[in-house]
Amino acid sequence: MADVDAIATAPLPHSQSDAVAPLDEAAFSTFYRQTSRALWAYVYRVTGHAADADDIVQEAFLRLLRAGPDAGDEDRRRYLYRVASNLVVDRWRAGKRQQDDERASRADDMAAGDLRASGPGDADVARTFAELTSRERALLWLAYVEEETHEDIAAALGVGRRSVKVLLFRARRRLRDLLKARGFS
Amino acid sequence: MTTWFDLAESEERAVAAFMARVAALPTTATAPDAVQLWLKAQLLRRWDAERRAQLPLDVMQPIEIAAGLAAAALLLYLSLPRLF
Repeated sequence: MADVDAIATAPLPHSQSDAVAPLDEAAFSTFYRQTSRALWAYVYRVTGHAADADDIVQEAFLRLLRAGPDAGDEDRRRYLYRVASNLVVDRWRAGKRQQDDERASRADDMAAGDLRASGPGDADVARTFAELTSRERALLWLAYVEEETHEDIAAALGVGRRSVKVLLFRARRRLRDLLKARGFS
Repeated sequence: MTTWFDLAESEERAVAAFMARVAALPTTATAPDAVQLWLKAQLLRRWDAERRAQLPLDVMQPIEIAAGLAAAALLLYLSLPRLF
């Protein structure tokens, strides 16, 4: 199981380019407003469950506040994604068999949820993305949406740094095949 | 340089464009209020501090009890010849 507690209690790394400022309530409120929606979207797209996303996002921010404030916003953001990804990995390992069986129904649930306020084709996009495995979704999201380095992706998902290139290639290849099959241009 | 782990350029563009669409999908995030999270975190930090302060006492208490029982047993053993 990913050692989330060790990550939560370890001191945050410093980035020399980030200004280090104490995280008081006002600063946290601003940081939360800037990052919570994106983090929630990432966790929701990877897990496919809004309730899981609520729990994981809340837990990630609580662990950030407990671990200490002495880091810049970019370090805190990376820390959040690392903790959230590890919590997602823990859930995968706890319910792996159930996850595989529910993948098809989750695809429909995510697509239905997105239909409420979506444009044309959004449901197809959501459904296609949901057909990937959770790990593939996490890899692609961290690489393309968050533009994380392979090192950060490896730390977030608990895999070796050298494995990220191979895993990411397989995920991209699988997505490419799905896009061709679904007729996405 | 090996290109074993690269897709064709057009395929890479298609994947990137699709991921941009995924990122832009609307979501109905229901994250809790920042103030609630802040207060909850402060409470947890206070509990963490209290637990750390209590830890030495929690460790020593069973040792003290065991030492007391061992001393009582030793006294009883040493007193046995006088009792019987």
